[in-house]
Amino acid sequence: MKKPDLKKLKEVDFKKAARDFVYGKPHGERRLGDLYIPKTGLYKHREWRGIKDTMYYFNHIWLYNYGMIVRDLMVYGGGPKGMIQFLKGTWRYRWMGQTYLTVMHWFDRCLEGMRGETLAASAWHFRGIVSACLYQITGFFNRDLNIGGDPELRAKTIGTDETVWGGVIYPYMDQGGYYLPTQMIPYFVTCHCNNHTVLNYIDAVQAYGLPGDPCPMCQAEAGIYIEDDVPDSYVAMVTTNEACDSSVGTSVIQDWMMNKPLFAMPQVMQFDDDSVLENCAKEIEMAWRFMEEHTGLEFHWEELKKHIELQNKQNQFEREKWDVAANTHSYPINGVAQALYRIFYSQYGERPFWHDVDKKVRKIMEKCVNEDINTFPMTRHRVIAWSCAPLYYSAWCTWAYNCWGLNTIINMDSLMFDLDIRTDTYENCLLDIAKYHEWAPMRRMAVGGLQHIFELWENMEKFNCDMVMMYDQLQCKGMQGVVGLFEDEFRARNIHAIWMPHALPDKRTVPRSQIRQIINDYMFTVMGEEPLDPSLLDFDDSDSW
Amino acid sequence: MKKAKKKKNKVARFVKKTLGIAGLAYAGLFCVFYYDLDGKLLYYVVEPFMKNHFDNMERRDPHTVPYEQIDNEYM
Repeated sequence: MKKPDLKKLKEVDFKKAARDFVYGKPHGERRLGDLYIPKTGLYKHREWRGIKDTMYYFNHIWLYNYGMIVRDLMVYGGGPKGMIQFLKGTWRYRWMGQTYLTVMHWFDRCLEGMRGETLAASAWHFRGIVSACLYQITGFFNRDLNIGGDPELRAKTIGTDETVWGGVIYPYMDQGGYYLPTQMIPYFVTCHCNNHTVLNYIDAVQAYGLPGDPCPMCQAEAGIYIEDDVPDSYVAMVTTNEACDSSVGTSVIQDWMMNKPLFAMPQVMQFDDDSVLENCAKEIEMAWRFMEEHTGLEFHWEELKKHIELQNKQNQFEREKWDVAANTHSYPINGVAQALYRIFYSQYGERPFWHDVDKKVRKIMEKCVNEDINTFPMTRHRVIAWSCAPLYYSAWCTWAYNCWGLNTIINMDSLMFDLDIRTDTYENCLLDIAKYHEWAPMRRMAVGGLQHIFELWENMEKFNCDMVMMYDQLQCKGMQGVVGLFEDEFRARNIHAIWMPHALPDKRTVPRSQIRQIINDYMFTVMGEEPLDPSLLDFDDSDSW
Repeated sequence: MKKAKKKKNKVARFVKKTLGIAGLAYAGLFCVFYYDLDGKLLYYVVEPFMKNHFDNMERRDPHTVPYEQIDNEYM
């Protein structure tokens, strides 16, 4: 038997080791990069965050969320029958069976290094997102005729583009009207949770003979249809031209492949012109008539009003969160949780699970403010992220904080739906709904006109940020057109900005390691700074989820 | 009296056993969590199996779908 090295043993600081065990290692000593198994992104072991936070993660995040997933499937699925439908769907659809089972690793990636209130509040945001996903997944499978779903439920369900705001169904919800954004779950969330799956859909489109240079998001969304991976869960479809004309191309493929009644609801791109607002309102009314014709549902104004008012409450709480983020060091939500939760609920629309999460987060945030807790104590720079983010690496904010102390305070997509919809009269409500639609993701700022994409400067000031993470979606023709203008402005305003190239869902174009390298290079050479955690500078996660 | 004591012992034994099993299960789950065994199972076993299943699945030929347009007015 090998003798223990007494010399080495004598060098161990047992007091410090005990302190690290109880409280977790301080930020600079964690060496989180050493935990990874090369290529896979798996952990040799999960992070030890000290007794309190490790047990919180184990009990209140890992165990709790696995348990709540089963609970959600039973409740949203309507009991054991829903569970059977879920299993059938898991076996039938790649985007489910190959993707979402890995959900707890999504939590891990996004919550690495978080502690205390930040860990709790950020995890609650993910709980809300997962609950919303399961609500939709069970919604798909319970109605899906491909796997023996219920035709009566399907008869009251409208499929939509994911950029058609979920509020279109509000007037019909009391009659069982159901809104199914057909790409949000099969495409959008998959890229964040497990980006292996989406590559099949991008390849399917290109193998079919379509060009590879349009937005890969639109390619993937069309690929789901070409691969015959769309549940037959809705009776008719509402599409939109949002965010851009590549999205219109997707709708053409969808229309062909699904062969169902389809209503195209165009929304103007240059939305500042008030004279076009009435046209958009009319388009929305026409969409409602289309939905009524195909589902037999009736328009209920009071129901619409009820949900709009609840949604306004959510938006008001969001502004309170922004106020805390902008003016204190006590904002307990990390960049990725903030971004994904906000875009998800403002696009999907008002539902009960969001309010449950908001209640919990409010409590945590109030505690942080009242006790003046510094939630991100290693912050060196306050970052605003602008333009459209890489879906396959939304967790970059967590990495950037752990490695460099770059704290992402806010991002462009979170700011776009900042509108309280009036409910005093039907006319005012409709006009505001039209405006809300015009402010769709990747639309209001990204391709909505130069003055809007330049809202960056005022938001940078408002949120007290000193650095910009400028996303550069290489296949977005709209945003490629303004690269030079931004460079000029950054120079003129003397702003530190890092350009982050990416291809939205496709990690093969700009791998995650390359994104990290670009940030590393800027921090070393331009900022002249040293990393907080050198083990995170360079590691291989090329095959990870 | 003896019968009641016996019953009490039986209950105590049952509680002890249940707590023991629950404790072991909890410790086992903690090991799964800490050593990322759920991730490893999904990465090395479940995902390749499901991928293989989906790669070999029979799918509808998209060309068989007729390209038609239904015109309607919803004014």
